[in-house]
Formats: sequence, structure tokens, C-alpha cells
Amino acid sequence: MKNPANSSEKSSKGGWMSFLKGLIPGNNDSTFVPPFSLSGWIFLLAGLIPALIVGWLIYPMALYSKQPQPMNFNHVLHLDPDVGGIEGDTETEQCLYCHEFRDDGSFVGIPRLAKCTECHDDPESPLGETLEEKDFLEKYVADEKEIPWLSYYRQPDCVYFSHIAHVRMGEMECRTCHGDHHKTENLPTYRANILTGYSINIWGKNIAGYKFNTWDRMKMDDCAECHTKKGHEENNACFVCHK
Amino acid sequence: MELNRRNFIKFVVGGAAGIQMTPLPWKLTDDIAIWTQNWPWVPVPPVGEFTHVKSICNLCPGGCGIEVRKVDKRAVKIEGRTDYPVNPGGICPLGMGGLQLLYNESIRFTRPMKRVGPRGSGKFMDITWEEALNILAARISTLRKNGSPEALAAVDGNPIRSTMSLLIERLFKAIGSPNYVRIPTIEDTFGMASLLMQGTDGPMACDLENADYILSFGSGLSNTASKADQWVAAKPGTEAALALGLCHVIIKEGLYDTRFVNDHCFGFNDWSSANGKDHIGFKTMVLDSYSPDKAGQITGLAPGDIVSLAKEFAGAKAPVAICGKGKGALNGSLYEFMAVNSLNALVGNINRPGGVLVRDPLPLNPLPEVELDEIALQGLEKPRLDLAGSMKHPFTHSLINNFTKAIIDSSRSLVDTLLVFSANPVHTIPDGGSFRKALKKIPFIVSFSPFQDETAYMADLILPDHTYLEKTEDFIWPAGLQYPLYGLSQPVVEPIYNTKNTGDVILDLAKRIGASIGSAFPWSRFEEVLKERVKGLFDSAGGLVDHDGSTPAWQRQKEGGELNPDYKSFEEMWKKIKSTGLWYRPVHTYKTREVLFKTPTGKFEFFSSKIELAVNALSEKGSLDTALCDMAISGKGDEVFMPHYETTKYDADRSVYPLLMMPYEMINLASGWVPTPPFLNKSLFDTQLRGDESFFEINPGTAADYNLKQGDRAIIKSPEGKVRARANLSEGAMPDIIYMPLGFGHTAYDEFLQGKGVNPNDIVCAGKDPLSGLPVWWNTPVRLIKL
Amino acid sequence: MKEKHVPGKRYGMIIDLDKCTGCGTCTIACAAENNVSVRSDESDKERSITWMELFKITNGKEFPHTEVCYFPRPCMHCEEDGRGHHQPSCVSVCVATATKLDHNTGIVSQVYTRCIGCRYCQAACPYKARYFNWWDAYFPKGKGLERYLSPEVSPRMRGVVEKCTFCHHRLMRAKNLAYAEERRELEEDEYITACAEACPAQAITFGDLNNPKHRVSQLIKSPYAFRLLERLNTKPKVYYLSNKDWVRKLADNYLPGEFEKIMKLSG
Repeated sequence: MKNPANSSEKSSKGGWMSFLKGLIPGNNDSTFVPPFSLSGWIFLLAGLIPALIVGWLIYPMALYSKQPQPMNFNHVLHLDPDVGGIEGDTETEQCLYCHEFRDDGSFVGIPRLAKCTECHDDPESPLGETLEEKDFLEKYVADEKEIPWLSYYRQPDCVYFSHIAHVRMGEMECRTCHGDHHKTENLPTYRANILTGYSINIWGKNIAGYKFNTWDRMKMDDCAECHTKKGHEENNACFVCHK
Repeated sequence: MELNRRNFIKFVVGGAAGIQMTPLPWKLTDDIAIWTQNWPWVPVPPVGEFTHVKSICNLCPGGCGIEVRKVDKRAVKIEGRTDYPVNPGGICPLGMGGLQLLYNESIRFTRPMKRVGPRGSGKFMDITWEEALNILAARISTLRKNGSPEALAAVDGNPIRSTMSLLIERLFKAIGSPNYVRIPTIEDTFGMASLLMQGTDGPMACDLENADYILSFGSGLSNTASKADQWVAAKPGTEAALALGLCHVIIKEGLYDTRFVNDHCFGFNDWSSANGKDHIGFKTMVLDSYSPDKAGQITGLAPGDIVSLAKEFAGAKAPVAICGKGKGALNGSLYEFMAVNSLNALVGNINRPGGVLVRDPLPLNPLPEVELDEIALQGLEKPRLDLAGSMKHPFTHSLINNFTKAIIDSSRSLVDTLLVFSANPVHTIPDGGSFRKALKKIPFIVSFSPFQDETAYMADLILPDHTYLEKTEDFIWPAGLQYPLYGLSQPVVEPIYNTKNTGDVILDLAKRIGASIGSAFPWSRFEEVLKERVKGLFDSAGGLVDHDGSTPAWQRQKEGGELNPDYKSFEEMWKKIKSTGLWYRPVHTYKTREVLFKTPTGKFEFFSSKIELAVNALSEKGSLDTALCDMAISGKGDEVFMPHYETTKYDADRSVYPLLMMPYEMINLASGWVPTPPFLNKSLFDTQLRGDESFFEINPGTAADYNLKQGDRAIIKSPEGKVRARANLSEGAMPDIIYMPLGFGHTAYDEFLQGKGVNPNDIVCAGKDPLSGLPVWWNTPVRLIKL
Repeated sequence: MKEKHVPGKRYGMIIDLDKCTGCGTCTIACAAENNVSVRSDESDKERSITWMELFKITNGKEFPHTEVCYFPRPCMHCEEDGRGHHQPSCVSVCVATATKLDHNTGIVSQVYTRCIGCRYCQAACPYKARYFNWWDAYFPKGKGLERYLSPEVSPRMRGVVEKCTFCHHRLMRAKNLAYAEERRELEEDEYITACAEACPAQAITFGDLNNPKHRVSQLIKSPYAFRLLERLNTKPKVYYLSNKDWVRKLADNYLPGEFEKIMKLSG
């Protein structure tokens, strides 16, 4: 008695080879050419390498727009004790001089012009000698116009973040999330994701999303990871960070 | 090495594999997911610094304190204040929705305009403030040159006693027109009732803080009535009979305050006048005519209920009876208010803690006398079109229904130019749509409304005011508050459009008209006028400029605390008032009852000498009967001078119109001159508005007579017109009465309001309230036709 | 510094129905506070969004013995699904983890960007407290109505479910203020919902049910306090108060005679 199961087993011996062979027109068993000859590899690589280039190099460039900041800001200069810069016992304290908390506990983020004019109060007499400052006094201080800064760290509208809870109550350092922004002499170019509109700093400069430092990325998982690590799992509740 | 099918597939496979080895697919998936969360048309509210600005709400005469939460320059939320004496932290639905009036550009006038298309087409052209004011000034000057300043008329809906209304009245006086007409409110009736019985027309103040029994004669269907301990529903318009029925029981059972009634009241017992004429007293009249049986018959209540209610009222320590209908935006009935106040007098609860307080007006500085020129003097000699203050209606300030009728009935244009301030009479006056008809006979209409309301739509010139959140104005002693209060609003946000405070516009206009009118307005800004008046508060010495809701001043005082004002100079006081928004004197010095009443007899008058004088004066010109007929009084003999019940006279044939229609005000629907903020639509039941159809409330029994089921459509027809609405069968509705909400049926505004529901004012067939002549809007004979 | 754990809160609310006048301020305060979209037709109650919805009930008696009671209905922030699981029924059915019960506050969250709009939760909620956005938020161009939107609450897009959050952003606001003043604990009145704050009749009391000092925990002990559909065992954190028997009777589907046996009667 012929077992159909057996027969199908037989015919499936070397099945995939014969299946591939059948795909190539004009081929038969006698003139079989293995699929991966040298020329075959070349075509494969011709597809593979450009794809890798597109994925790793071109795509990240195409994904992010480049927008210049309205003017430069030299963090190093403002924190330089030699020119009478902002002082403080800790780095965080220095940051908080301008990036301060309001009385209601909210965080100002990028300071308004009013904060700048606490020191740069006279548009006629610059404090330093830089051209940037002269420009700033003429364009903004004299006209009492706010500087349209582009924020590197603006989270989406659905996100709530309390700086005071982290910095004052959690005693975290600014650099944990913001890195060495305070050591920049020139503001980096602002780059926004053309699909989502968010700054590159949210996902991180690294297109793969690999994190080498805590400040390399600012996605939800990064917040949760830190909460968990520090034993604040209760702060992973949805409404703690969503509004 | 040819590109055959096999190699092409290798190429594609290589490419696909390569892409998989990059972050592209994963990153793209993530980004697309985020992209779908950020549609560009879903607004993202900008963040910023939160601040709070304190001000006062002017959307109704209540004048609650509000605190507006702002993000940078935007106002984002209105909240109630806990440091303002009117409202302890709460706020009403209308006040809560105020930002939708401020920020809804499609219902606001954003700049001065003049009409270009046919009237009512809504076609306007932009003009500058300069041009607009010159047009109006030239028009007024021409009227004066022609010797007819009285052809200028105003309809003013600003709160009574406010500086704004004072300024408009002053402008009319200086120009020489007597035709300054106010929108009637409950304050008109309050004022008259107090004037006739107590001799002062100051604000009606009740010490509800200390009252232990509050008997409210409001209309039956209100939300608040559902919370009253005792809900007594008399047929609309028969409340006076109920009050007098209660008086009957109190007098008959001897439950009244004999000392007060004997020592400080006039006209309680039978009496004889100096010329020997005998008069019956209030006691005799009430005992004869208002037995519980009779009162029950009139009001539709069980006599037993009237007796027990009267006993409960008289048995309380500090009972107070308060009158009114709805939210207080509409007038009441004068004899009814007097009848209710008689209850307070009978229990002696006048000028006593927990009772009715007889108060003097706020000690604000009067504005300097206006020097009238010859034209103005002649103009002011002319009679008012509405006959208010005339011999026929001597106690009434304004009669808008008469004003409308006079214009319609005349063959010529009695009013050449009409100025409309904070009012939307086309929609809000219960006159069966007459005001709209009257507008057709007025050649030139000027609207000062910030909103594109029905009346403004008919205007020829638009001089838009700021909304209440953009300007400074004052609020003087809202009705019912027991202590004198002066409130001052402040701009919560900078004016967002090219509008101007009407106060400033009037000062500017007066200067443009020039001559004696310009010199009657020496101020350069409206705020200076406010400041000048407030100086009187400083000069009167005392008064607080702050209020702490957690420990109110009266409580601190009870506990022996001092109430010293925390300002030294007037400038300091003014500065503080501007920031806190209030001046307040939370003490009441109870005057002895001997000097309290400013009536001709110096007593509380059950028998009003003022009515007697007025009736006699008018009778001298004809007969007593014609005098009473002119005053719309149907009472006979001595009862004319005392609070009594008058049966409503209907022009309509009651066999054709067997039901009565009563419009009612809803707390979550704006029925005055301001539009309803769209948020309020959320709080309406679908048995009040469904789609574009509004509902009328009807008793299930009455509905059964007409074979009406819940939601059925019907025509409600009165002699004035007809409207179509759906039936809401409501057990709480009185049989044979149809209740219709006020505030629907707008023909103006935007998609949130326009065409939604019907306006009961369109079919009101308003009679005249006896003596006061104010419109009787609460019972229109109607018939129901099922569709 | 090792952070000290704040003991868990269970925020809840009690609404005194004998004080409520049905004015609708709570509904409007809620909508204004939470950027709830308003459409031109709000009369279709199956489609319109009112986190705090107002209902009207009557005792069904004839005039003049009719009594009316209004009751506002927010999200009940249930603690169980009625089958003994420590999560509300809407949470158990959510396939996208868009809604969760936070055991530290007792508040049931709703994350709009996570919601896929399947509406299971809407079907599962016994109180009909959840609303689906059939349309995008209505802010037509040229009106400028978006200018009153508060940045504290994210406006919703079409296709997601939303509901009362006990004004969670107000909790965050209050916490920020406390942190600015170097405190961790909130005072009773520091965090209350917009509806409780706005109510002109002061009928709504809000607070921590775990804190015996809070007024709300005292009020719920009243024999006249009750919850809606109590016997479903969903353990709502919104209580009502009324000393009218007929009102309390309507709060659940009692069989004839059943209510009288279970409940303490007034008078």
C-alpha cells in the first residue's frame, strides 16, 4: 500500500534546490549553477552596501532638518569666573541662576529676555567685547523683543515633566539628562525630525538609539529605566509623566 | 555578470537585508507612530508663566469676584474668588464660560464699522474711530441745531447705579434728550416697593447670613426651588394673593409683631384722615379678602398648606420673605413685591439682624451738576416717549415697552438716532418682537456692543466696547447683599482687538459735540470719573479694601476684632481698590426705627401715602376711574393704596387661548444681552435642546389633554405669534402652564447659538403691571396645536 | 539621599445631592479646565463629551408632590472590576495599556497618545463615564477659540477615548508648589478638582480617602452616603450623599422591598 506521506517525503528530498532550479528559465538539472557564485555576491552586495549607507548615513541626514538658532550663546563665557560670570557652589546651582524655578515651582526652561536684562540692562553699554553681545543688545534688548530660541529639549505635548521634582527633591544633576550643554561655546545647530517635529536630542544623535551616556536620549523608556534603577517604580505610573 | 532575473533578485534581497541591518525601519515605525499623534490641526497650547488676575464678572447683575488664570498673555481659566464678599469661591456656569466670549472672534466686533448693505444684511465697512465718532457727533449736533435733541434716544442695559449708566444719563441730559431708557430689571421693582413702603429706593438688602427661615416667592420651575425646604408653587402672577393669604393667617392667629405694627407702621388698622374720611386698614382688607380659602382658590394651592406655611413662617426667630423671579434680570410685579414685604413687616423683621435692612445708598461722590444750554433745557422739557415718571407711572424710571409702542404707533419717526449700550432689546425684551419693528422706524442706530448681537446687526454704526475682561468698570452693591460693596473690575488681558471702553468713547464724543456738552465732561479718561466718585467713599471714612473669605470681616468683628481700614491717603486707597477690586463696609448700624423710614408719615406704610398723592394728582385732571385706568390699576377703594392682588387682564379670548405660557430663566443659559458661551450647551439636557429644537415643559396631565407624548412637536400660538417646539413632560410643571426657557432662538451669533431653539419673547403678549406699568411677561395666553 | 516613600493616597470625592442645584457649573468648570472640545451640536448626548455629566431624576410623583434631584457623574475611579481583581473593568479590557489605575493616588489614568480607539473600555464602564472622540477637537480657523486652551492638559485628537482624570494636572501643580516650598506633603485644600472648586453650592468635597482628617473621609461615613451601582463591587471612589430615600434607592437596581432591608432609612 502506497503511503502518500512517504511519497511526499521522498519528493521533498533536496526539495528546495530543485525548487530554486525550477525558478530559473531554461535551466535543467544538468546545467545547474549554484546560486551564490562570485557574480551573485556582487549583486547581493550592490544591494546591501548602498542600503546600509542609506540606512546609517543618508537617512539620518534626510530625517532631520537643520535650523540655525537666532543668535549664538556662549555658555562657557557666562560661567567663566575670570570675566565675572555666574558663580555657584555646584554646577546645578550655576545652571539654576538663569534656568530657574518660579515661585509656583514651575521651571522657566530657556530664560526670557527679562532674565538677560538683569545683567545686560543697558543696550548702550555692553558688558563684554563680543560682537554677539552687541548684536543681541541692538536686536533684542533695545527693542525689548524676546529671542525666538529653538529648544533642544522640548518634549511632546502629551508629556508632563517636573524639573523641581527631579532637581530639588530628587537631587539630580542637570547633566544627567542634558549632558555637557553648559560647556558649549557655540550653540549646536537645531535639528528637528521632519516627521515628528521633535528635536534630535529627544531620540539622541545616534540614529540607532544606542545610549552611551544617560543624556544621550530622552524617550519614555529612559525615564522609566532611571525610575526603576533608583527604586521609584511608583513614578512609572502613566499620569506621572503624561497629561 | 549580466543583470538577469536571478541577479536582480539578489540585488533586491541584498538591499532588503541591508535596510534591515540599519535602524531605518525601526526608527521610521516609531516616527510614524509619533506622527499620527501630532496632527497639525490639533492645537498645542503654548506653555509659559502662570499668573492670576483678580477682577469682577459683569455677565449678570450679580457681579461675582473672579480670578483669571493666565499663561503669559493668554487667559486660560476663570475661577471664583474666595476673597470677594459676593461669592465664597464658587461661580455660575455663565461666568465660567466667559473666555469663550472673549476669544470667539466670530461673535465679536473687532473694530469700528459702518453699515454698507441693506439694514440687517450684516454688511459693514471698516472705519477708523476718528471717522466713527465724527459721524455720530455731527448727527447729534444737527439734531440739536434743529431744536430736537429729544429725537436722540438711548437704550441702556448697564447695571443701575453704575458709573457707566450715570455717564450715559449725563450725556443725554447735557445734550437735552429726556429719552434715556433703561432695560427693566428686578431692581426697578425692588426700588419702587421700598420707596413706597419704606421711603428709600436704596438697594434691597436682606441679612440672609442671620435669617433662619427664608421664604422665597420665586417662580416655580427654577433649579434652586428644588432645594428649598418648602416648595410652594402658586400659579404665575398670583404670588401676591399667596403672600396676603399668609398675612391673613398671621393676623388672624395674632402671630404678628404687635409692637412694630402699632408703633412703626402706618395704615395697619382702620383710620381716618385729617379731612375726616374713613379708611380701611391693611388688617381689615386682608381679613376680608384673603382668607386661606380665597387665596387657595386664586393661587391653586390647598388652603391647609397656606395655613401651615404661615404658621411656620411666623414661628421662626428671624424669618425673611424675599421676592423675585428667575435670575433677577427681569422686572417683577410691584403690588406683589409690596405684599411680600408686608410679610416681613408683620413679623417685625425690618431693620433687625436676619431681616430686611433699610440702607442708604453708597456714599459715592456725585458728579458735578451739568450746566445746560438753551437747547438742552428746551429738549428736557419735552415729555418722555415711554411716560415713565409721568403722572401715569410716577414711580417708574423707564418703560421700554411703552417706548417701543410710542415709536410704532407714531406716523413719523419720533426717534432719529438710537444709541444702544450693553443691551440686546431685539432678543431680550418680552414684547412679541415689537422692538424689532420699532427699529425699522429709526433712521440711525448706533450699537456699542462688543458682540454681534441681533440689535447690533440692525445698527448703522458700530462702536464696539471692550468685553468685561478687557476693561475697568464699577459694580455697585449687587441686590441682596447685606453690606455696602463697591466693586471695580480691571483688564484681565490687554484689549485683543481695536475696541474701546465705551466710557472713554463717551468722553471723547462729548468733546467732539463741544459747547456745554464738552464742558460737562471735563475728564480725559473714564478711569478718572470712577476715581472721582470713589473719593466719596474715602471721605465718608472707614470701609475695608480687602476681604478674607476664611475669616470674613463680620466674623472678626463678632470675635471682638478691629475693622480698621489699612490705608492712610486716598491715593493709597485707590491703588488698593484697583488691585483688590473692592471697597466694603461690613458693618450695619441699625438706626432707630423712628428715623429709619423716609415715608411721608415717617413710618413703614402698609397704606402708601405716595400712591395716594399720585392717584389724587392724576384724578384732578379727570376722574378717579380714568386715573386708575391710566395707571392700569383695577383695584377699588382703599386697596389701591395697599398691597393687594390684581387679576391679570387678558386682551386675548381665553376660550381660544386657554393655556398660559411662562418664560423662565435658566442658570446655564444666558438670557440677557450677552451671548451664551458654547460650554454651556454641554450642561443642557437633551430634553431642553435637541439638535436645533428647544423644548417646552408641560404637565403630563395637560399634555394628555392634547394627546402629546414626550418629545412630540407642537405649535404654541399666542395673539402675538407662534413658535414651534417639542414637549418635555415634566411632573414639576403646573397644570395648564407651558414653560419656555429664555435664551434660545438667536438669529445672530455663530453656529453654537444661531437658530437653536425658539425665543418665547417672540410670542409674549405683555400686559402692564398695575401702577408700575412694567411689562407683565409671566403669563401670556396661548394655545397648543399638536403637529 | 534615599527618598522617603510617601504613604499611598486614595483620592476620592463625595457629592452632596441635597445641596446640588443642578446648575451645571461643575460640567462647565471641568470642560474649561480640561480643554474638552465643544462642537456646534452638543445635544446628541451619545456623541458629546462631558467628563462631568449632569443627570436629572424625579420621584415620579404627580404635581405638586414632585421632587427633583440632580446628580453630577464624573469618572468613578473604581478600584476593582467587580470580580475581585484590583483594577477597574475599563483597565482589564484595555488592549493598549492606555488606561491604568495608579495605586499611589487611586486615579485611573488615560493616555490619549496610547489609546487606539477600540472603545472596549467604553463598553466595559458601568457608569458610561468614558467618551469617544468621534471628531477632532473643534477649533475652527478664524475663531481664535484655541486661545483659551490650557497647556496643562493635552488636547485630544479624533479616535481616542477620554474621561475625567480627577484633574490630575492639578495634583502635579500642587506638588510643584509644595516642592518649591520644600514640602512633600500636600494640605487638604491644595489639591482639589476644578468641579469641586467651582461649585457655587459647595456640594462637592474632594480629598484623600486614606487620610482620616480629610473632610471627605469623614463624610463618607454618613449613613446617607452611597455609591452608584454599589452591588457591582466596582468600589468607586466617588460617593454621593442624600437623606432622601427615593434618591438613594435609585442609585442601584433594587428589587421591590430589597432597599428597605439593606439601607438605613431617613427619619
